[in-house]
Amino acid sequence: LPIVVLLLRCTLRSSAVQQTSGSTHHPQRAWLSSQVPLCGHHTPKHRTGLYGPFTHPQQTLGSSRGPLSLPLFTQRVALSQGPNTSTAKIRLRTRLVVTLLFGGGLLGTWWYVRNEKQQNHRMQRIEQLKKVALGQGDFSLLDHRGHRRTKRDFLGSWVLLYFGFTHCPDICPDELDKISAVVSALDKDPSLPAVQPLFVTVDPERDDVPALERYVKDFHPRLIGLTGTPEEVKVAGKDYRVYASPGPKDEDGDYIVDHTILIYLVNPDGLFLDYYNRMKDDVQIAESVRNHMKSYIKLPE
Amino acid sequence: MSAPNSNQRKACWGARDELWKCLDDNQDNASSCEQFQKEYEASCPAQWVKHFTKRRDFLKYKEKMQTEGFEPADGPKESQS
Repeated sequence: LPIVVLLLRCTLRSSAVQQTSGSTHHPQRAWLSSQVPLCGHHTPKHRTGLYGPFTHPQQTLGSSRGPLSLPLFTQRVALSQGPNTSTAKIRLRTRLVVTLLFGGGLLGTWWYVRNEKQQNHRMQRIEQLKKVALGQGDFSLLDHRGHRRTKRDFLGSWVLLYFGFTHCPDICPDELDKISAVVSALDKDPSLPAVQPLFVTVDPERDDVPALERYVKDFHPRLIGLTGTPEEVKVAGKDYRVYASPGPKDEDGDYIVDHTILIYLVNPDGLFLDYYNRMKDDVQIAESVRNHMKSYIKLPE
Repeated sequence: MSAPNSNQRKACWGARDELWKCLDDNQDNASSCEQFQKEYEASCPAQWVKHFTKRRDFLKYKEKMQTEGFEPADGPKESQS
């Protein structure tokens, strides 16, 4: 920063030197010009200390706004006559332009650094979640058309995974609507790969293939429902540390399953990258998925 | 008994919202909202009725905590030996 300040003073000083027609006829002015300049070139006769006595760099940086330079500036304006008022105006404009450029440069730097920091945070989060290493295992389930699907079948696609059950009163439909909205939003961008939404049941007792088929058609057309035997479903759930606990049955055998309400993002290599809870809306999730896609580097074969 | 489809879900949520609006307007006086109550119970599976009732109780409780504050519990009492 001090180096920049020195450069600034040099540019301003040299422009001032060029523009001042000045003869040092006033004693005060003479005193000013006797200040030792910090820049290379100057004419001994027309040495003008722009900022007068050496002040703290921060204060001189204020240029036309600095408290110390302003009285000096107005003094000089009062002292100068005729042609010198226009040079004073030019000097002011130069100073303003340089200040704005410098300010712009600062702002640009700040913005760039901020973006780098955000990127760093994102990478750190991905590293942490990779350590958690959810979804490392394999699952083997039946989709809502009765075809057997394993985790391998979904490698090569980005997956948004949600665990729920069809008898769910409000949360599962809400979350699936949200996922549908996210997928539709991302579909609109042709530069992004298609996302595969998956719905795995935590209630295999009731959610068989026909039940799932009836359920998934109310959501995004690409949504695949997955079910299986209680064992198979348990393996899939355990892989993602999904908590599921069927509640007490009532008179007509109906019950509600208490379960983890999270949407999991899995990348084309089958790695769990991120999760989204109820607080995240579809816009935020779409933005997050987009960022993950952009920073995705394919693992070597 | 198969799960409600999208239309049935929406009908149930609508009936529930009508009932809750009535209760809000009548300071939770259940007797003024009997018609809505009947409608609600007819549109929703029994489990969902229980679930939403519990949810409303929780929301009311939460509101009470936020507006009126609460007394922290005393902690476990000394056991009588």
